[in-house]
Amino acid sequence: MSFFLSALRIIRFAFQNFFRNFWLSVITMSVFVLTLITVNALIFINVLGSATVQSVQEKVEVSIYFEPDTSDDIVKSAQGYLLGLSQVRNVTFVSAEDALVAFKEHHQNDAVILDSLEEIDGNPFGSALVISAWSPDDFTFILEAIETPEYQRYIKKKDFTDYEAVISKIQNLSDRIRIGGLVLAGFFILIAILIIFNTIRVATYVHRDEIGIMKLVGANDWFVRGPFLLEAIMYSAASTAIMVGIVFLSMRWLEPWVSTYFGGIDFSAQQFFLDNALLIFGSQFLVLSVLGLFTTMFAIRRYLRV
Amino acid sequence: MIRLQNVSKIYKPNTGALSNVSLHIKAGEFVSIVGQSGSGKTTFAKLLFAEERPTKGEVIIGDWDISRIRQSEIPILRRQIGIVFQDYKLLPRKTVEENVAFALEVAGAGPSRIKKIVPQVLKIVGLSDKLGRYPRQLSGGEQQRVSIARSLVHTPKILVADEPTGNLDTIHSMEIIELLKRINEYGTTVVLVSHDRDIVNALKKRVITLHDGEIASDIERGKYMI
Ligand SMILES: Nc1ncnc2c1ncn2[C@@H]1O[C@H](COP(=O)(O)OP(=O)(O)OP(=O)(O)O)[C@@H](O)[C@H]1O
Ligand SMILES: [Mg+2]
Repeated sequence: MSFFLSALRIIRFAFQNFFRNFWLSVITMSVFVLTLITVNALIFINVLGSATVQSVQEKVEVSIYFEPDTSDDIVKSAQGYLLGLSQVRNVTFVSAEDALVAFKEHHQNDAVILDSLEEIDGNPFGSALVISAWSPDDFTFILEAIETPEYQRYIKKKDFTDYEAVISKIQNLSDRIRIGGLVLAGFFILIAILIIFNTIRVATYVHRDEIGIMKLVGANDWFVRGPFLLEAIMYSAASTAIMVGIVFLSMRWLEPWVSTYFGGIDFSAQQFFLDNALLIFGSQFLVLSVLGLFTTMFAIRRYLRV
Repeated sequence: MIRLQNVSKIYKPNTGALSNVSLHIKAGEFVSIVGQSGSGKTTFAKLLFAEERPTKGEVIIGDWDISRIRQSEIPILRRQIGIVFQDYKLLPRKTVEENVAFALEVAGAGPSRIKKIVPQVLKIVGLSDKLGRYPRQLSGGEQQRVSIARSLVHTPKILVADEPTGNLDTIHSMEIIELLKRINEYGTTVVLVSHDRDIVNALKKRVITLHDGEIASDIERGKYMI
């Protein structure tokens, strides 16, 4: 009975404090919201970064050119062999004729090249296989795998060398984005914690006299702390809600921009935040609340000694 | 009712505020504590509701030795003692009614008791018409009356008032003192710390004079002599 009575009173006092000190509440929540927005902007940039890297990785293809006189059967059998490798995502067959047409098209404005092509008798191109892998790391393995006695002598050229640099660059970039993102995230989270810590300390400091008065009137520590703790949770909940609104509004606004500048990326930030809403926002609310509770407990302690 | 035995208080690191004070205040007495600034009056008052603890000696309230009172027991003590301060110590974000009710709420009093007692004590101090006001909307005298009303909700056996008229003009001071006298007549032991010669002399009650943390005089129907 008395316990429920006290609990109800603590809840009532928390709401009273929240609204009767509206501006301090607004300021405290603004700091919370700004901090959360920073964290989410970071998540957004990270996700966008890895989506970009992934889409570039998916676009990397390696071509294997066969000698002009290689029969299509052998090339098709090589295609089948490659498709059987677990690292290979896809292999497309480009016939000698297609290769010639494509080459002509590519150089249609270059009379010298077209002329010299005329000089040569027949089709100088052989067929080719265009390979895409699940991961650019795997190309080395794939290109070595094709070096079997069966196919080796038909292979004219593998353009792996051209891609090697690109692949390692991408790999590098994606690693750097990942590490940079982690470092930046750690840094921001540290700042966020300090800011929230301090905001709550200020909010508690402002009420230090009240805390002393409550104690002198015969309140026990929990009765004094209760409303402050509850207020910390209210701040967290309200700030998370505001931040969710801001995130989705800005995603709506950013989405067209993202698809223009990062055209061709199969990525919707809005969808990403929707799919992971509970995890992302739920964990932010939890962390914020726990941090708020912990800080309040800590900040209020010294004013309770009356 | 209140007994101090060889009480000394030394603030850290080494400010002596009270030294070897022994006294006995009987139930129903009205005692004024006077003395120069820094003589230890507030320290004495704080010992009575355990805001400070004696460095040496014993402080006994009723038959409860609170010299080494545990932190968790302090609220229980304070719910039995009325306390009034010079600066009123009202909660700024609560109305008059809520401030008074708060003292009952911290003690777990039920809603019906609160509904009954709050208007009663506010009537005693003559503030029945200002229930919904916030402290900042009241005069100093009115704020002090709210604070007295709050101190009465538990019908305390002891009321400790540390310079309750310190911030008030003569007329309002007299109102407060009249209130304290009335409370005393109903049987509450009143300990009044005061600077005010006129008030103390007009009371014609027991006066304890502190000087440098020691009792310089203790006289029934005494006068303010410094
Ligand atoms: N918290 C404290 N820490 C250290 N010294 C203190 C503390 N409180 C009071 N003192 C010292 O103890 C002595 C007695 O102080 P006290 O407040 O009891 O005096 P007082 O008689 O109430 O004075 P006043 O009439 O000015 O209110 C003073 O020397 C004061 O400086
Ligand atoms: Mg004093």
